[in-house]
Amino acid sequence: MATIDLSVTPVREANERLRKYGADGIDVEVLNPDARHHIGVGLTHPVNVHIRGSAGYFCGGLTDGPRFIVDNNVGWGVGDNMLNGSIVVNGNASAIPAVAIRGAEIVVKGNIGSRAGQVMKAGTLLACGNASFMAGYMMYGGRLIILGNSGEKVGQDMTGGDIYVAGKIGEMGADAMLIDLPARERDEILAFLDKYKIPFSGTFQKIVNAGKKLRYPKTEPRRRAIPFFESFADNSYWNAKVQEDIHIKSQIGRYRIRGYGAARPMPHLSDIAFRKDIRIGAMSDPDVLSKVEMRTEVGGRSGANPLKLSMPVMIAPMSYGALSKSAKLALAIASRLSGISENTGEGGMSKEQREEASQLIYQCLAGRLGWNIHDMQKANGLEIYISQGAKPGLGGQLMAKKVTPEIARIRGIPAGIDLRSPSRHPDVLGADDLVIKVEEFREATGYRVPVSVKLGAGRVRDDIKIAWKDGFDFVELDGMQGSTGAAGNEVLEFVGIPTLSAIQEARDALTEVGGLDMPVVLMGGIKDGIDTIKALALGAHAVAMGTSAIIAGGCIACLQCHAGTCVTGIATQDPEHEKRYNIPVEARNIHHFLESVRWQIAAITHALGYSDPHQVSRDDLVALTPEAAAITRLPYHPEYRERDQGLLKAS
Amino acid sequence: MCGIAGILYKGSAAADAGVGKALIDMLDGCQHRGPDSTGFSLYRDPVPGHLRLRFIVGDGAEARAAIGRVKTKLTEFQAKIVEEEHKGSSFAVLVKFDGDLQTFSFEMEHAAKLSSIGESLDIIKDLGGAHDVDNVYKIGNFKGTHGIGHVRLATESDVAPEATHPFWATGFSDISIVHNGQITNYYKMRRRLEKQGYFFNTDNDSELIAVYLADKLKHGFSLKEALKTSIDDLDGTFSFLVSTKDEIGYAKDKLAAKPMVKYEDDKIIAIASEEVSLNRLFPGRALNTSEPAPGTYDTWQRSISA
Repeated sequence: MATIDLSVTPVREANERLRKYGADGIDVEVLNPDARHHIGVGLTHPVNVHIRGSAGYFCGGLTDGPRFIVDNNVGWGVGDNMLNGSIVVNGNASAIPAVAIRGAEIVVKGNIGSRAGQVMKAGTLLACGNASFMAGYMMYGGRLIILGNSGEKVGQDMTGGDIYVAGKIGEMGADAMLIDLPARERDEILAFLDKYKIPFSGTFQKIVNAGKKLRYPKTEPRRRAIPFFESFADNSYWNAKVQEDIHIKSQIGRYRIRGYGAARPMPHLSDIAFRKDIRIGAMSDPDVLSKVEMRTEVGGRSGANPLKLSMPVMIAPMSYGALSKSAKLALAIASRLSGISENTGEGGMSKEQREEASQLIYQCLAGRLGWNIHDMQKANGLEIYISQGAKPGLGGQLMAKKVTPEIARIRGIPAGIDLRSPSRHPDVLGADDLVIKVEEFREATGYRVPVSVKLGAGRVRDDIKIAWKDGFDFVELDGMQGSTGAAGNEVLEFVGIPTLSAIQEARDALTEVGGLDMPVVLMGGIKDGIDTIKALALGAHAVAMGTSAIIAGGCIACLQCHAGTCVTGIATQDPEHEKRYNIPVEARNIHHFLESVRWQIAAITHALGYSDPHQVSRDDLVALTPEAAAITRLPYHPEYRERDQGLLKAS
Repeated sequence: MCGIAGILYKGSAAADAGVGKALIDMLDGCQHRGPDSTGFSLYRDPVPGHLRLRFIVGDGAEARAAIGRVKTKLTEFQAKIVEEEHKGSSFAVLVKFDGDLQTFSFEMEHAAKLSSIGESLDIIKDLGGAHDVDNVYKIGNFKGTHGIGHVRLATESDVAPEATHPFWATGFSDISIVHNGQITNYYKMRRRLEKQGYFFNTDNDSELIAVYLADKLKHGFSLKEALKTSIDDLDGTFSFLVSTKDEIGYAKDKLAAKPMVKYEDDKIIAIASEEVSLNRLFPGRALNTSEPAPGTYDTWQRSISA
């Protein structure tokens, strides 16, 4: 057995040694842990680790296989996202023990803190003492066994799984109910207790989901789809979409869900123009690509391996779930062909997607759907999603039709529910907690990959300062012109902040704190190379394209992404629909579109007299509307509108 | 956006306890939660008929001007300076004063940024980590029965000494607060208190908690009763520690959104955001700690007479 003494070894080095001992199959004893955070994070071998004292936050988090024993207490999130293996805690566990576990066995001999087992998917959490507030909050599966008292609001908004309480049950949580305990399950629990040598002879009450909130009571009647541009054409008072909305709401009596983004006219990059005369001739230079340097690195500011983009463009995060596997594959292939990065979005990483994308960012959302240590270690970047431009402050939505058995398996949730992902991370309730979470990701991946944050534009000024303070390698900032697979119509139209305001506020905030070294990747309605250069001039380091990329790959903008019956095979999980999607053809189309973006970036950069698009600055821009001028503080020059339209035609 | 810590020594030998060093160790232990600035609420021996005031004055000419204004204002109130000290960015005085404290303190605000007033209370706060602040103010040597402290991650307001915790209950002597979290009904509560004639020195929600509690104490509540009502009256996510001349206490919101761990034995009660801070008091030893339940509060009184 090897020994690591934390009174002389920093945790980062200790974890590296632990991983090495793990690979060699050597058991380890950890001395003087003194409640330090992240002990054992990222371990993926079935070795025994004995911690002689207390551990801090995320003890044994993001692991698969090891067996930990902790002599005393543990801090927040013991066993975070653990796949297999076990942790036996001889003292008490603080808040969110066993958060998001996917098969592990977490045994706490003392009491457990609040929100135990939040968003757990599979495995067992056992508390020999009492639980606290909201035990089993939003759990999706697995079992939570409490030998003491349950605490208040037990089973709050649980979706699946079982909670067994031997002691007193406090107030029941929303959408939870008591049922009879089958004898077989009692035997299984007693066998589990026996395995960990815990004497017990009482009985249990069983709590499960009551099923009242898993599905919308009424589904929207199917109608002929009215495409985006037709829906919102001309009359903004009584257009086709308004009429359809009223009809459908009169049937279902609630808000509507739809795909795509805001359609309300809103100040955007199209209200900004270039100040200089752009010679149309300069834009037809056949060698322009060789005259402009576009390569862009993102994410190396704290020493991680940066993403290396062939131009300042990324594919925006979109989930496998919202999109079909075929559409995600086409995006992955196109991103590789164009030398840029792809992003997994919420629903986890597929093997095929990983193989096709040469640079892949892996996103971690509040529900931890599809999140695991193995895919983290395969990713080129890790991203914490806080929110999305189309629906800031809300979690993702995936309607039942798209929650197929395969999607459910990858995400670790029950199939066939109207999935409303949590909007709030279990372990990030402030900037201080976020620091510790980011550190956990870095520990799990040996500090090799960049860690970014995706922010939906809301309180941009404050949020961006927090992102900088917390040491993120870059920010993906998403304005309200961005789209989504499903959200309430009112949210799409009336909640977000325009992309133009978002980049301006971000730039102002970073200037204020001296944080311009942190790159901002702007997204939300970026449709071409012209928008890209404007975004760069306003302060972005790169842009990310979502909607424009899927339109290039065949999307017809019918706004029915949520329904799951996408006729193009993009936003569906139905094999009958998906088979219409021709992966190689659409991958090539997306690639071609991205190359047209590259050409536009080069041509405009060159025509403006620069050799790198990052040299274009605010001095090269004017505002065409009073609103855009007020937002950006650019000079108001409406007379440039005509020239701008000429530029659009030429490119 | 922070880490908090507090300690109270029990028993008759407590007056000579190394509370300064204990707070430095605990705050250094959770400095990852807030590297920007660090602050300490210490309780010195009271001198009857005297008050301690500490101001944040900056440095150089700005500091000299501020100190000048403070002295003029003190003369106006016939507060006679017995001791004075200008260290780091702060200026501290011990004055002989027996007038109306609330008027005095509101007026002194106009002279310079006031960080504390009390018969005993002395709030020392500045930029940097616990050891940085100790290097300037020599807190490690401080002996006393109890104190609280804070490490701050500046996210919304500036990295400035006056935005650093702990916060003093403006207008009241000897009450201070360290807080981790956010009070979401801040403006509603502030307007209520302002209607009663209270003055707020900052826009920080932690100052609100301090004034809220001080107001309750003024109306005859015990500290424990005041903490109890605070859990119902304050909305948001919070774990906070309060200290007075003779007591420390905590309150934790109903959602348990912010961490807090406590350790208690015959000699001490220590509370911190994370166990890693408590462990600094007992290196290499596994502690029998517990986590206060959501929506709970408690207080501890020092057992020796002042």
